[in-house]
Amino acid sequence: MQNRAHSALKYLLALSTAALTFPAAAHPQAVPQQTAAKSASSPAPKRDLTGVWQYQGGGGAESMTADKDMPPMTPWAKARFDEEKPGYGPRGAAGGNDPILQCDPIGFPRIMFMPTPHEFVHAPGRVLQFWEREHEWRPIWTDGRPLPADPDPTWYGYAIGHWEGDDIFVVESTGFNEKTWLGPTGFPHSEGMRVTERYHRMDHDTILYDMTVSDPMAYTKSIVAPQRIMKLKPHEEIEEQPCVWSQENEFAQRIRNPATPKPAKQ
Amino acid sequence: MNVKMAGSVLLIVCFLAVCGPMWAHHGNSAYDEAHWITISGAVTEFVWANPHCQIFLDVKDDKGAVVNWAIESQSPGILRRNNWTRTSVKPGDQIAVTLAPAKNGAPVGFSGNQMGKIVFADGRVLKMDIR
Repeated sequence: MQNRAHSALKYLLALSTAALTFPAAAHPQAVPQQTAAKSASSPAPKRDLTGVWQYQGGGGAESMTADKDMPPMTPWAKARFDEEKPGYGPRGAAGGNDPILQCDPIGFPRIMFMPTPHEFVHAPGRVLQFWEREHEWRPIWTDGRPLPADPDPTWYGYAIGHWEGDDIFVVESTGFNEKTWLGPTGFPHSEGMRVTERYHRMDHDTILYDMTVSDPMAYTKSIVAPQRIMKLKPHEEIEEQPCVWSQENEFAQRIRNPATPKPAKQ
Repeated sequence: MNVKMAGSVLLIVCFLAVCGPMWAHHGNSAYDEAHWITISGAVTEFVWANPHCQIFLDVKDDKGAVVNWAIESQSPGILRRNNWTRTSVKPGDQIAVTLAPAKNGAPVGFSGNQMGKIVFADGRVLKMDIR
C-alpha cells in the first residue's frame, strides 16, 4: 500500500512538474508530447542555435504571461489599455481593434508567442532570426556593439546578443515603436520597452526560453514570462506566412464580419 | 507531511497550474470553442490564402434547405505541414468538417488547432494541427 501511495505521489509530482513547465498549455490536448526530460540525449553543439525551432505552446496565439499575472500599469498605460478591444482573453469580444486585423506588423515580442516556427542562422557578427509568421526577421548583433542610446523606433527593435557559457544565448533589445500590443489580449508598451531573452540550449533538441520585459513608463514592475520550451524541427522548413491585406480584407468580409455579433440596437 | 497529505497538496497544485493559464488562452471570441460540431456537405470553394485558408461548403439544414457554410482554417504553411496542398480540397468534394461554430448563429465556423479536421467520403483525414 505504501509503495502504491509513493507511486501515486511520484506520478502527481511528475504531473505537477509538467503542468508547471507548460503553463501556457491551456487546452488538455495541447500538452506537448515530448517533455524536456524525454528529449534527445545527444549533446548540443556549443554556441550554436542553428535550425528551425517550434515553440511548444497551447495551440494558438498566446500572451507572454497570463493577464492576471501582469504587473500594475501606470496611468499612461491604463489609458491605452482601456482603448484596446482584443479578440482574445478575459476582455475578448468579436471584432475589436487589434492592430494585426488590418495586417499591421505583429511586432516584437508578440511574434515570439505565435504558433508558428522560427529559424536561427549564424552569420559573422550576428545571429539571424527568421519567423514564419509574417515571413519576418531580425539581426541579433554579436560583434560586441552596445545597444544604441537613442534608436529610431521600429516594429522589431534593435537586438544584441552574447553567450553565457556555451549553452545560453542572451539577447537584449530596445528601440521598439509603441504601435504594437504585447499579445492577443492587448496590453500596451512604450518606446522605452527593453526586452531580455535567454535561449538556453539544454540539449540537442531543446531550448528553454525565458523573457523579461522592462518598461517603467507602462508598468510598475518587470513582466516575467513563464519559461517556455522550444523544440528543434530538423525536417521542417520555414513556410511563407505574410498577412496579405487584400486576402485579409476578403476574409474579413466573407468570414470574420459574418461571425461577429451585431451591436445591440440603442 | 504524510504521503496522503502531500498527494492532496500536489493535486491542488496540478489543478491551479492547469486551470490558471486558461485565462491566458481563449480562442477567438467569435467562435464557440467549447462546443465543436461536425457538418457534412459538398465543397463549393477552397481559398488557399494568407493568413487564413477558407473552405465553403453547401450543407443541408434540418428542413432540407441548402446553407453555404464559410469555414476559417489555418495558414497555408500550417496546412502544408499537415500534408495539405492547394488542391487538397476541390469543389464538389463531399467532406465532413469538424469546427467551432460562430456564437452568433451564422453559418460560419473555425476549423483548426487540435480539434479541427476534415474527413473525405473515402475516409481520408486531413488535420490542421499546430505542432
